[in-house]
Amino acid sequence: MEEEAVDVSKGVDVSKGEAAKGEATLPGPREAGAGAAESPGEPLLVVEKLVKHFPVKGGFPIRRTVGAVQAVDGIDLTVHVGESFGLVGESGCGKSTTGRLITRLLEPTSGSISYRGRDIAHASRKQLAPIRSEIQMIFQDPYSSLNPRQTVGKIISGPMEINGIDPTGGREKRVRELLEIVGLNPEHYNRFPHEFSGGQRQRIGVARALALEPKLIVADEPVSALDVSIQAQVVNLLQQVQKDLGIAFLFIAHDLAIVRHFSQRVAVMYLGKIIEVGDRDSIYKRPRHPYTHALLSAVPEVTLDGGAEETGRERIRLAGDVPSPISPPSGCRFRTRCWKSQDKCATEEPPLVRLSGNRPHHLTACHFPEAPTTEAREEDIVLDPALTALEEGEG
Amino acid sequence: MTSPPKAEGGGTPVVGGEREPGKGPEGGQVEGRSPGRLMWIRFKRDRVGVVSAFVVGFFFLIGLLAPLISKVYGKDPFTVYADERPELFDSAGVPVQPNGGISGEFWFGLEPGNGYDVFTKLIYGIRTSLMISLTVTVAVVLTGIVLGVTAGYLGGKADFAIGRLIDFLLAIPAQLFFIASMPVVVSLFVSPRDETPTYVRVVALIAVQWLLGWMSLGRILRGATLSLREREFIEAARVSGATSERIIRKEILPNVVTPLLVQSTYLLPNFVTAEAALSFLGVGIVEPTPDWGQMFAKASTELVLQNDITYMFFPGVSMIIFVIAFNLLGDSVRDAFDPKSAR
Repeated sequence: MEEEAVDVSKGVDVSKGEAAKGEATLPGPREAGAGAAESPGEPLLVVEKLVKHFPVKGGFPIRRTVGAVQAVDGIDLTVHVGESFGLVGESGCGKSTTGRLITRLLEPTSGSISYRGRDIAHASRKQLAPIRSEIQMIFQDPYSSLNPRQTVGKIISGPMEINGIDPTGGREKRVRELLEIVGLNPEHYNRFPHEFSGGQRQRIGVARALALEPKLIVADEPVSALDVSIQAQVVNLLQQVQKDLGIAFLFIAHDLAIVRHFSQRVAVMYLGKIIEVGDRDSIYKRPRHPYTHALLSAVPEVTLDGGAEETGRERIRLAGDVPSPISPPSGCRFRTRCWKSQDKCATEEPPLVRLSGNRPHHLTACHFPEAPTTEAREEDIVLDPALTALEEGEG
Repeated sequence: MTSPPKAEGGGTPVVGGEREPGKGPEGGQVEGRSPGRLMWIRFKRDRVGVVSAFVVGFFFLIGLLAPLISKVYGKDPFTVYADERPELFDSAGVPVQPNGGISGEFWFGLEPGNGYDVFTKLIYGIRTSLMISLTVTVAVVLTGIVLGVTAGYLGGKADFAIGRLIDFLLAIPAQLFFIASMPVVVSLFVSPRDETPTYVRVVALIAVQWLLGWMSLGRILRGATLSLREREFIEAARVSGATSERIIRKEILPNVVTPLLVQSTYLLPNFVTAEAALSFLGVGIVEPTPDWGQMFAKASTELVLQNDITYMFFPGVSMIIFVIAFNLLGDSVRDAFDPKSAR
């Protein structure tokens, strides 16, 4: 445990050391405008060694804590002003828990969350009050994130009411403005959520998050509950908002394509740990961690007559499920499903560091990293016996 | 600030077309229809529900206007007509005329023995019963909200404590407890040698029914709150820094109105019948205060029962109509709130 903590902090040091140098080159053509108003590169949110363990109760007749779900187990990340930071990973890897810890819907077991230099990891509701308006959240399910008994106007003006904000021209005027910003009709002020479609509801959720003019929005899978056709619209809306208002985003998603579209920097999570982090192009074009390779390779690609051979991409199919976060594997957590796993992986946890050949900022936690390419390999890696059998049957 | 993001045609396809909610036929500002309004519109379409509502309303009106009605009618339930108008009764104290002495003057007849007027007795009895039952319902609803929502929202130890209290109270056989405890509760206020004032009996009736009446509602509200607590709009309020008090008041309570209203419409007729049963058994309201249930007790005494069934008929039929109408109303309210549950 002791060693693990040291390893992780080493990773942070590297990331911090390189923050100043690398950031300037980051913005690509698409996000040239993002964060232009405020100096980019200035860290807005710094998360260090964040841990959240949910106790598992059991035993009879006296109930006691018999274990812990290690949902988030020592992660470090930094979100800079005006930047969009993507967090990807399989279901159950702790992405959403991380988002809820940062918005302080949950209290971390340990670690620090500092927002503009203020540690909010264990702040009380009162202490959080001034920061509440700066960190807002967009939720996954637009059908449960709006109170069905309140009008759209009430829903969006609620945060202003709670924080006692009286914009010039009144709250109603501001709400109508916000409705317009998110692409809804200001006339919808007195309507109820049930009168809207999923995409429209999500826009209302965005308007509510914008009501307090936040500096950081944690978007917890904001589009995964929507139709594919609506997803693009909402993502574009978020991108527009990010660009125009210079809001930093922590974008949590399992859809790699959307994260690629939306985020400048991406972190890949696996079983409560960040296993690879870097700017978008490094992660998507030059991944090093085997899990990142597998994840990217699993993205379905639309080709005319299918087949991985034609696309020129590598093909990796993992077997089995994510191990239980109650008793995660020792050492590298991915080793139970990794094709390169060796003895070292079980005994020593790989630190999150910059590997030689990686761009600055690109950190990987792996003892035996892959080559930085997603080109097709000589031989596909298919670990799933069922899939192998199926393909053999076909061939 | 910014211009709306039109570049990707965001929103317009969704907002536009037939789903466009912002434009009514007359254009201009259109009010959204709240879930409550929608429920009201659905309810109005339900003929059984509307008729039941009118019947129930009629009973409440009678109870409310009982003194006025009896004034117009010219009689009251306390006059002993056996003394006032002895010519109407035979030597045994039974009305001379058939059907319990029904006549143009005494619409529902006269009671054997003391010779009370049945009609005024009934309307005053309805008044007493409904007043008690309504008070019990209000008390039960308030208790159910406070304890149920608290248990559901706070969870943990509070939930455990309230849950065990509910289990404990549910284990007590209600009817037996009512019968056994009524005299005890009354004697807490008045020494057994004194005359018991009516208000003490009323308070005692309300108290025992309230004590054992709130648990089912409390449990339902706890469950409703528990499921609401995990909803994302509660989290959204919390992210904005809302206090627990605000979350309960603005986010949770408006959303438990449905089960609350449905349950209350089922509870009230139960309290009416329970109160009637207690008065029937002689531990509730006693003569000379008129009461619905006590009229059954009177009608089933030997002297009365032998002579005519009409004494049982009027309170019986009116109570059956009331309870059925109220239960049908409860069904309609539930269907209106949740159209999927309709048959």
